[in-house]
Parts: sequence; C-alpha cells; structure tokens
Amino acid sequence: MHLIDPHSQSRRAFLRRSAQLAFTGVALPTALNLASIGEAAAFNAPDGSYKALVCVFMYGGNDYANTLVPYDQASYDKYAAIRSGIALPRAALDAMVLSPTVGLPQGQQYALHPTMTGLQTLFNGGQAAVQLNVGPLVVPLTKAQYAGGNRTAFPLPPKLFSHNDQQSVWQSSSPEGSTIGFGGNMGDLALASNTNSLFTCVSVTGNAVFLAGDSALAYQVSTNGAVKINSVASDVYGSSAVKGAMGQLLQQARAHVLENEYNIVTRRSVGAEGSITSAIGSNAAADARAEFAPFKDITGNSLASQLKMVARLIGARSSLGAKRQVFFVSLGGFDLHDNLITGHTTNMKRVSDAMTAFHQTTVNLGVDSSVTAFTASDFGRTLTSNGDGSDHGWGGHHFIVGGAVKGKAFYGTPPPVSVGSTAAPEDQWHVGQGRLLPSTSVDQYAATLAKWFGVEDREMAGVLPNINKFGAAGGRTDYPIDLGFLKA
Amino acid sequence: MMEITEKPASRDVALDTKSNAAARPEATSGADCQTGTARLSTLAALSAALLAACGGGGASGGGGASFGGSAPPSSGDASLGSGPGSADGSPGTANPGPAPVVAVPPASGFNNNPKASTDEEAARFLLQSQLDASELEISNLKAGNFAGYLQQQFAKPVGQTGLQWLEERGYGQAGTSRYFFQTYPAEYMLWKQLFTAQDGMRKRMALALSEFFVASMQSAEFEWRSHGYARYWDLLVSNAFGTYRQLLEDVTLSPAMGFFLNTRGNQKEDTKTGRVPDENYAREVMQLFSIGLVQLNLDGTEKIVDGKKIDSYTQADVTNLARVFTGYIFDISDGERITVLRQDGSPESYTIAGRQAATRPMALDASRHSTLAATFLGATVGAGVPGAQALKIALDTLANHPNTGPFFAKQMIQRLVTSNPSPAYVERVARAFNNNGAGVRGDLQAVWVAILLDDEARSAASLTNPTFGKLREPMLRFIQWGRTFGIKSGFNSWKLSATRGTDDSLGQSPLFAPSVFNFFRPGFIPPNTALATAKATAPEFQVVNETTVGGYLNYMQNVIRYGIYVPEPSVAEGLFKNYQPDITASYTAELALVLDAPALVRRINLLMCAGQLSGATQKIMVDALNANPVTAASNNDRKLDRICAALLMVLGCSEYLVQK
Repeated sequence: MHLIDPHSQSRRAFLRRSAQLAFTGVALPTALNLASIGEAAAFNAPDGSYKALVCVFMYGGNDYANTLVPYDQASYDKYAAIRSGIALPRAALDAMVLSPTVGLPQGQQYALHPTMTGLQTLFNGGQAAVQLNVGPLVVPLTKAQYAGGNRTAFPLPPKLFSHNDQQSVWQSSSPEGSTIGFGGNMGDLALASNTNSLFTCVSVTGNAVFLAGDSALAYQVSTNGAVKINSVASDVYGSSAVKGAMGQLLQQARAHVLENEYNIVTRRSVGAEGSITSAIGSNAAADARAEFAPFKDITGNSLASQLKMVARLIGARSSLGAKRQVFFVSLGGFDLHDNLITGHTTNMKRVSDAMTAFHQTTVNLGVDSSVTAFTASDFGRTLTSNGDGSDHGWGGHHFIVGGAVKGKAFYGTPPPVSVGSTAAPEDQWHVGQGRLLPSTSVDQYAATLAKWFGVEDREMAGVLPNINKFGAAGGRTDYPIDLGFLKA
Repeated sequence: MMEITEKPASRDVALDTKSNAAARPEATSGADCQTGTARLSTLAALSAALLAACGGGGASGGGGASFGGSAPPSSGDASLGSGPGSADGSPGTANPGPAPVVAVPPASGFNNNPKASTDEEAARFLLQSQLDASELEISNLKAGNFAGYLQQQFAKPVGQTGLQWLEERGYGQAGTSRYFFQTYPAEYMLWKQLFTAQDGMRKRMALALSEFFVASMQSAEFEWRSHGYARYWDLLVSNAFGTYRQLLEDVTLSPAMGFFLNTRGNQKEDTKTGRVPDENYAREVMQLFSIGLVQLNLDGTEKIVDGKKIDSYTQADVTNLARVFTGYIFDISDGERITVLRQDGSPESYTIAGRQAATRPMALDASRHSTLAATFLGATVGAGVPGAQALKIALDTLANHPNTGPFFAKQMIQRLVTSNPSPAYVERVARAFNNNGAGVRGDLQAVWVAILLDDEARSAASLTNPTFGKLREPMLRFIQWGRTFGIKSGFNSWKLSATRGTDDSLGQSPLFAPSVFNFFRPGFIPPNTALATAKATAPEFQVVNETTVGGYLNYMQNVIRYGIYVPEPSVAEGLFKNYQPDITASYTAELALVLDAPALVRRINLLMCAGQLSGATQKIMVDALNANPVTAASNNDRKLDRICAALLMVLGCSEYLVQK
C-alpha cells in the first residue's frame, strides 16, 4: 500500500531543498542533474540494513543542573551555594559519577541524578554520551552579542523562554505554527527506502511538528498499537448497510477544507490499521516475547510504554517494509517551578528506566547499532532557585543512547557553575540566573544525528535550513556540524 | 428590570459607520479599567445606541438598565453549602449604577442579520452560543430576535454552583473516602453542570474561558483539590457575563491557579541564599491570559516594524512582574483543622486545613512579599508598595494593554465560531472589548454580542465558504449529544471520569488540559495539509490524528447506544468497581418518529448540525437506515439501533464535525 507516491514526493522535496541550497549561497553543480545527484542514494540502503532515530522529548523544560550535577568539590560547592532548597546532597551523588574515557579539564566531574542508574551504566559502558549545553541558536553567540542590540548580525531564536514556542523551535527551528520539522525533513529523504512510506515517521505520543516534512507526515499509533474504527470494520448495531455508509461518510473527499482534512486523517487511520496490527501482534503476544522483557517490570511510566511500542514496531520492521524510520515519544511534567526535588526525581527515573529498557530491547532484537535515541526538551532551566523550583532557561544537557554512539564521553563545553552578572569568564555562558547561553546549537546536534542516519553533507541544508551558519560553511569551525558523538 | 425594545438593525443604522467610526472612543492603555464600578449591560448600550442613531426616543433610558445576574461578582465570597444566590455573582451585589450612554452605532459588518428566519438559522445561532439546540429554543428564538435572546441569557440567574453540588453530594466530608485527595468529585460536578445546566450560554462561555485561562486538574496535588477546581469553575461561570478585569483578578487569586502556576508559596527574593521569585505566573499571565508574545494591531494581526515582529515583553518584564506575585498563600486564617486518617489504614491520624482554604481567594503574607520596585510594560510599582496595590497596578496594566482586546477577541472567536476569522471581524470584537458602547472596557457581554451577532458568524455566505468554521471539540460533541437527547444520571451520580484516553475515549475532559497551553494552541497549523499551504490555523486539529479519530468514534458508538457505565452509581464515592449504565440518553422524541427514516435524519440534522448536512449525505444516511426496516411491531432495541445508527453516522460525518 502506498498512500503517498514516494518517488514524485521525494523529488518535490528535493527541489525545495535545492532551492534552499541556492538561497544559502552554497554552490550547486552548474549542470543540475537530478539523476546524477541521486537524491535518494543516501537512503537506498542495502537489503537488510535498517536505521532508526528516536526523539525522546521532555515536555516542560528539563532542569539541567539536577540532571547532570557538578560533582568535583569546587563545582559542587558552587552548585550547592546557588541552589538553596533544590540542591541534591553530594553524598547521594557519590555512586552516580560518570567516568568518561577522557576526563574533563581542570578535574571537572559530573554525576547523574541519583535515580538514573540505568543511564549511568550505559554511559560508563560506552553506549551513551552526553552533549553539554545545547540549545537553539541562529548563529554562534557570545553574551555580549546576546546583550547587544545588533539583531541583524546576531539574531536570537524567536520567543526564547516560552514553552510552546521553544518546543517548536527545538523540533523545527520555528515557533508555534511551524509545519516542517527536522525529523520530517529526514523522513522526506527516507520515504523511498520504505515499502510503505506512511510508516517512515511515527509518533507514539501527541501531534508534534518534529515529524512533519514536505511529504513525510507523523503517523500516530497509541501505546496499544493502531486503533481499529469499529463502525467501519464491523456491522453497526447489526447493520452492514450502516457500516458501509460509515466507511463512505468518514473517508470521502470533501470540498470544505477542514472537513476534507479530517476525512484524510480517518482514511489514513483506516488504511494503515490492518498492516500495523498484523505486524506487531497483540499486547499479550508481545509481552510473552523475551526480547521485550526489559520493559516487564516497569510500571506507571508512560515513556516506557511508548518506547516499548517503538521497539515492537522496530521488531516488526520487515513486515512493515521499513528501512529508515524516525520516531517521536515524549514525557511531560518537567516544568518544575515548584516541588522540583520530588517531581524531578520521578521524571529522571522514568527517563532513565525507559531509555535503558529500550536500549536493552534493541540489543535483544539485534538492532542496537541501528537505533539511536536522543533527548530533547523545551529548554534548560535557571540555575538559581526560587525556593523549591527553577524557572525557564535556554541551553541544557542531553543524552544520546545506542550501539552507534561513541559513548563514555562528554561532547561540548561544560558551562561554568555561576549566576553572577560580572565580566568574569565564568559569567559569560549564561544570560542571567544561570540560564545557559548554548555553546552548541540544536542544528549541530541534529546534523550529527542526521549524518549518521544517512543525510549527506550536500543534503544537510535541506534538512536543517540554518545549518550553514555553523561549521566550515559558516566560517565557524569551532561550531562543527558533526559533533562526533556517533560512529560513521 | 427595564424592558428593552429591540429594534431591528435597519439599513439606516448601518449607514453612518464611516463618520461614526472616527468618533468612536477607543479605550487604550490610557483608559481606566472600570472594574466593579459603572458598567452598562451591553445590550442596553447597544439598544440605546441603535435608538439614538435612529433618532428614536428613549436613548437615555438605556443608562439605567441593569440585568439581574449580570453584575460583576465580588471576588471574595465563595462560601460553601449555603443556599442559591449567596455564592458569588448573586443578583444585586455591586449593582452597576447608571452610566453615560455613548451613541455607538454598530460597526459595518455587524448585526445585519438581527433574527433567525428559519429553524436552521436559529439552530446555528444556538449551537454557536450555547451547548445544544432544542426544538423549544429554536421556536422561541425564531419568534424573537438574537439580541433579545442574548438579553434573556445574560439575565438568567446562575444555577446551582459547583461547590454547592459537591456539598450536596457529600464530597465536603473528610471521612475515609479522602475526597480531599481526589479530583473525581470535581470531574463529576463538571459533567453534571455541562449536561444539565439551564443557563447553557453561561456554561458554554465558561468552558471557552477555561481554555483561555487554563488551569488543569492534571497536576492538582493540593488538599481539597476538587473544591479548589469547583471554585475555579464557579468563578469562570459567575464572571462569564462580567468583566475581563474582574475575571483576571479572580483567576489570579484562586487557589487552583495559585497551585497550578505556583503563585501559592511564591516568596520574595533572598539575597543571602540567592533565591529569586518564581516567574511562572508572571510569564504565563502575559503570554497566555492577557497580551501574548508579540505586539498586535487592533485587528489581531502582528505589528511589523522594519520587517520584524515586536516582542510584547522582555525577560526583564517577567523578572520584575514576578515580584508582584510573591507572598501569596492559601487562606487558612479561620484556623480550621480537620482530622483525617492515614491512607494506609493505620489508626494514627493527622490534620489538614478545611476546604475553605481551597475556595477562598489566596491571602497575602506581607512578610513574604517582595518590596523591591518592579517595572514592567511601562508601569512601575514603587519600592514598598503594599501587595494589594501592586496587584491592582499589575492587573490594570494587563487589562488595559492594547494587545489584550485583539488577543482575547480572536481566541474567543476561534472557540465559538471560526478558526480563521477575518482581521475585520477580530477588530470589531476587539473594539467591543475596548469599549462596550458605554465607556466600559472588557465587558464580556459586549464581547459575546459582538462575536455572535457579527455578519461573519451570521451570514449565509459563510456557510458556503470552504474555509469557514471550526472543528467541534470532542467534549463539546459529547455534551451536545447528551443535552440534545435527554441525558440523565439515574442516581444523580454523574460518575464520569474516564474520557481522557486518546485511543478509547474523547481524549479530552473539562479542566483537564495537558498543560497551561490547553488541549490545542490558537496558532496551530496542521502540517501536511491544505491548511498548511494556506498558513491557516485549525487549533482543534492539534488533537486529531490516526489514533484519536478512532478513539472518539468507538467510544461514542458504545455510549450513545448502551449508556455510560459508571462505578457503583448508588454511592458518591468513586470505588471503581461494579460498573453500571447509570448515565443514559432517552431518545423520547426520536422514538416517536423512528419509523420514518428521512424524518429521523432531518431531526438530527437540525438539532446537531443546524441543518448543515448536504442532501447527498442525508441520502446516504437514509438509504443505510432503510436497508434494515423498522416497523411499529419492531421491538425497542431495534428502534434504538436505528436511532443510534442515524446518530453515529452524524457524529462521524465531517459535515457535523466541522461547525459552520
């Protein structure tokens, strides 16, 4: 079943991206020959090959400072002094210290939140890495440039510190109302690799712009799989005629735009349900399989339920005809202005337990080197305390997990632990109250993931329209477009 | 109460708009916000204006008009368990005095369709302005006019409050049921109110307001949370025909919002420890409850200067405004303590505050309130200004900001009428917000009148516009179904609290948004659609996907035919076992015409869709029904099968789902 014609669509997407390349001033081949460029070449994966990216979005803005806690005595002391009421005790961190292969400068150390034992094991075992202080940037930015008025040379990401907008900016480089995300842009390139293009970009949580491309769209399943619409599938109150009418009414084309779009969604739902259900089997059958045992003892963890469904879909990749997939899952409850110690403890445990179980399941399925999961969030939070919580910030720390990760390592620059507003060097990496000025952009983070996924350098600006402000193209090799946390 | 003789808006009236538009006073940031002072009921002002513009007599008579029940509520009193009328919003309190009448003729594009000439037009108006349309109301509305109908709704007394129902049902008892730790009593209360309230327009507007001033039970973890949320609902209801400014204040000081956005417990800065005030409410009250992120024109479009949008506020505004919201605590000044047992069943007990702490406005602890000066949005609270005065300055500043009218107006139009109103429509409503015709700013009655009587909402032309209208929210479809078909709870239990599932239910429940950003955003554009190409918003589509379309339909297929199964309906406590179909529709009128499939479809089309189903669609439905003949001799189950089949086809059909 092809709900989208992948060939014509990816060609259209390619043309859009070519146009963007032209706008960014990157030289295109003088004789533009679509065939020789081989738009889908990067994704024309050999038989049996498979790759998936999984975005784990932490809605509400994750508190970076209690996720990855400064542990060396000098840094910890500053952290504890600043975070009155919300500092984790150092003793609780003793067992949680991360041991990178190459230590950080000046003896700096980080410990994970005490509940993140699973991720700690993955990090120290080499299957997880940390990207330090990453967040949206339009261009590389110093604090003076942030504070200065020259927005032409030094534009800021739109609507900083606003939840909904920064969620959208992280996923798509644009605020609320955006309709194209970088996961979807990668999906556009991947459509042709998959037998059923609809299963290229899959969300197991609410609608998210991350998975929307030109043609690729976010197909939704629940944690129980695809929903069968009973009134289309079976007689309605004993009437087959009503079933038939439902099938027609729910799916017919309409002249009214809103009516038509609603029916299109229903049509997709009805069309795809059978394939998904037969491919992943019943919940009970999945629960009985040894591969999914890592999820067995996790309860009350919505993220784990979502990732389990992702694992089931990956397990069914052959039946679904999928070779390149992008998934989106999420967890809410991170906007901890109050009650941070308790609320964050719950969330950190959920993230660690779910991501660890997911990774182990990919190992069991034999695809751990083909699946990379990464975290994202609206923003980091303040380092200062408001008594029992923290407020909206900007940059934060994020995790990359999988067999392809060059783990046991920190990437990026550790931000100084400081909230001062002086001219001293330690105050140059936050914009007040410890709101981190990102030293790595989301574009770089995404480009590193995209490159591993198969996006070629020349296609990168189509996936990430702003990427050429960084790296060699932007004259900023200190902001590389490959951060190095994934194997080639 | 003064009788208003509403005259149809004749062509004469509408003529003069150009010259009068220039003379129209427009409240801006400099205008006073007349909270709780002179306030003229909108229709009185409108009517007087019409009369004046027509040269008719009696224009000055409008000044004395006041409709009972429309007075701004006091923010303080939310006493429990007392009789009807003593809760806030009671008639007679803060009775607005006479106000000077400003002759403001209706703007162009407004009120050119003063009355419904057909059943369909009447139903269309009712479905935009309240929760359902009944045969009786359609007939009454046709006999009068829209303005008269609105006047009646504004005058209707507030029915039983949510708090009163909780008390009536025993949910105010601490007891072993530990209701103070549960949200389900408030959920039951909301369904009871929305399914059965007689003041349907007031409840509809309260529900729309609950999606603008969002507080959610999702994260309500304070004692007596159901009482806190019942109070929150009650204040939306009582202020629905009041003023924006009073509503903003009541929202700000409510314990539910205080907990939800952390004003409760917010403390002033402490230079010794480095603690700073919590910024959450300061930020969201600006971003979501008043002015929005970017400066707006009066028509709701974004101001562009040198090719750029202009932020409405900066981080410094947030940090400063946060000081105003420090020092608030739940009001436990009565010293009431209630002894409750531990959850684990152990014999020890402990004490908690009484439920009034969750229903009274929050109190200010001056010792925790910041005394630093605060400068925000061009306003200044001087150092040491007392908390109450600081709050007044802050809320006046927000209510008087030039963004607030268009920001609020556009979202209310989206909730009630159409996802993509024209800028001119937004401007007409924003003007009504800025000045109700009697110099009052933020008169919500004026806003509702302007939204509902606008040509864009009323004209037949919009019915054929392929982009006009909005997707009905799942909970509104559900409520409309219940009210239209005589829903009842046999035990008066209304124990319905499981509609939030996305794959097996509505994916929505009142006052249960996933965050302060509501179930969906006003600026949401569905990707990969013709809407995205046109950059058109469709907020409700944010909850539409391959999972939810099926979850909704499967749920409705069950409940419309077999009733809503609720746990142990004979007792108030949740219990969550022994489920029985306590909440059911009656379908009395439909049973009477069940043998006539075309008549059955016609009736459902009128009541559910305001007659907006096409002939082709009705034929599909009728043919499908006739395939299974039903005769007078058929048993009741077969008759109900046919009625529910007709209804399910309507509930699933996108011509119904998109309200026009």
